Amino acid sequence: MKLKYLFPNYFKTIGMILFIPSVILGLIYLINQPEPDFLNIRVFAILYTDFLIDPSFFAITDTNAFDEIVGLVLMISLIFIAFSKEPFEDEFISRIRLESLVRATYFNYVILFLTIIFVYGHAFYWIMVINMFSILIFFIIRFNWIIYKEKKSVAT
Amino acid sequence: MKNRIKIERAILNITQEELAEKTNVSRQSINAVESGKYVPSTILALKIAQVFGKNVNEVFELDENDWK
Repeated sequence: MKLKYLFPNYFKTIGMILFIPSVILGLIYLINQPEPDFLNIRVFAILYTDFLIDPSFFAITDTNAFDEIVGLVLMISLIFIAFSKEPFEDEFISRIRLESLVRATYFNYVILFLTIIFVYGHAFYWIMVINMFSILIFFIIRFNWIIYKEKKSVAT
Repeated sequence: MKNRIKIERAILNITQEELAEKTNVSRQSINAVESGKYVPSTILALKIAQVFGKNVNEVFELDENDWK
């Protein structure tokens, strides 16, 4: 069974090139949420909420786009790395892909369950932020680890 | 599922790599099928059998575990 909807192999390279700066900026954001002036922009919001005011729908609001840009680029880079075809994508690789996706999903939710039980307060917000990316990261690690092991077992 | 790929390869004197090329899959896949780690699709099983000039059930055989 060959999987459809995978990107061509060279998207993996594009993904890696995007990943390096975006993960660095992402980690910087985790530490001290920079808000560079030139990224202060006016945006259209379907929903906007803030403390002490009623939620507004279809509104214009001001924001700093640093986290939006970094988050989106990081997600795109992870999707490219995760879902680009291998140089030789065949049915066996597809099975490894599927298995890895199931395992990564379970693993991600086990971690999430534990953090729901054991993490409280504002820290949980950051857990949710990391959780936006973690499932793809777990998948990439598991999938590539198995592919590496299979390649090694052939070489011997 | 048991298979006779290793024996059939020896008869034809071809490597895993060559069998992979002929059936248009990666060498890892042939290795995984041959070692019984991966059950191939019907299409791949038929291709492998055809390379050996055999029927598919001369190359692949059910074992008891397949009925569990």
